[in-house]
Amino acid sequence: MYIIIAGCGKIGSNLAKRLSSGGHDVVVIDADSKSFSLLGSASNCMSVTGMPIDEDVLKEAGIDRADALVSVTGDDNVNIMAAQMARQLYHVPVVITRCYDPAREEAVRTLGLTTVCPALLAVNKICGQLSPEEDKL
Amino acid sequence: MNITIVGGGNVGYYLTKTLLAEKHRIMLIEQSMPRCERIVAAFNTSNLSVTHGDGTDAESLLESGVRDAEALIAVTGQDQNNFVACQLGKDYFGVKRTIARVKNPKNIRVFEKLGVNSVISSTSRIAGSINQELDWSDVNQLFLQAASHVRVKEAIIGESSPFCGKRLCEIGLPKGMIMVCLVRGNIALIPNGETQLLADDSVIMLGAETELPDVLEALRGKVK
Repeated sequence: MYIIIAGCGKIGSNLAKRLSSGGHDVVVIDADSKSFSLLGSASNCMSVTGMPIDEDVLKEAGIDRADALVSVTGDDNVNIMAAQMARQLYHVPVVITRCYDPAREEAVRTLGLTTVCPALLAVNKICGQLSPEEDKL
Repeated sequence: MNITIVGGGNVGYYLTKTLLAEKHRIMLIEQSMPRCERIVAAFNTSNLSVTHGDGTDAESLLESGVRDAEALIAVTGQDQNNFVACQLGKDYFGVKRTIARVKNPKNIRVFEKLGVNSVISSTSRIAGSINQELDWSDVNQLFLQAASHVRVKEAIIGESSPFCGKRLCEIGLPKGMIMVCLVRGNIALIPNGETQLLADDSVIMLGAETELPDVLEALRGKVK
């Protein structure tokens, strides 16, 4: 798959490394070129410096031929806007949006987006480990 | 009309002032407490309610009364925030008309394609677009697509302008540049060569992007 990752923070960079070592073509977008150092020297990922809500930047990253876009910048609203651009303007088949704030997730889903909320995932995981029985119910 | 305004910076402040004067009911959301206080202190009217909160958050929008709004105008300083406020307003709360300010002119097209009703890249035109048929962003967008070197700009004639008191035919505008409209008091007129320019006239100029700045400066009468 040809995958675009918007945001090269801890999640973005680790995701990029995992996906590219799994044989996918990965392009990472970040406004700060220094953040690409998180990808490490062995990484095959391509990188594009710029805002992921800028059409020129998305085009440079190859949005026209992308199979998936994952938006994981540190700004929920940038993530939402980049995801809607990918979904509705470029018809990218798979679009996943990170949502920092659990309280917002429901509203963001009603906009038609597939969301991942790391905070809720952590809560669920911790609860599962504290009381495995309850988790099974 | 009940109008939600997201963002209480300078644009939000003057937009509120303008729309209150036109008898609209304004529900404003602003994230910074000092800005909220400034707006509350400035306008003593029951037609204004100010909510301290994030206008890109559904809870804050709900609290501000967005369900009663017939229009939502997003004028924060960041395109992504204005976009999300408009999307939530329209898709989550069913607000009929959404209007956004954008910083990046390329986002005009993006916002419109993604369902925002009016997109404005110039702060000075936001208040006008609520009540006027003329949609400024459409005009400039047309030029961006069809004739990328042409722009429309507004200037107010300054007392010290070398053009003040002159007739249009005496000025000698650069070739290809025209004065589209002149507003004097409450009267808008299409100027001709005999039209005399007076101080405080508001004029709308159409011309090449490269030539407009010098002419606008002369019209405003700013001394270098």
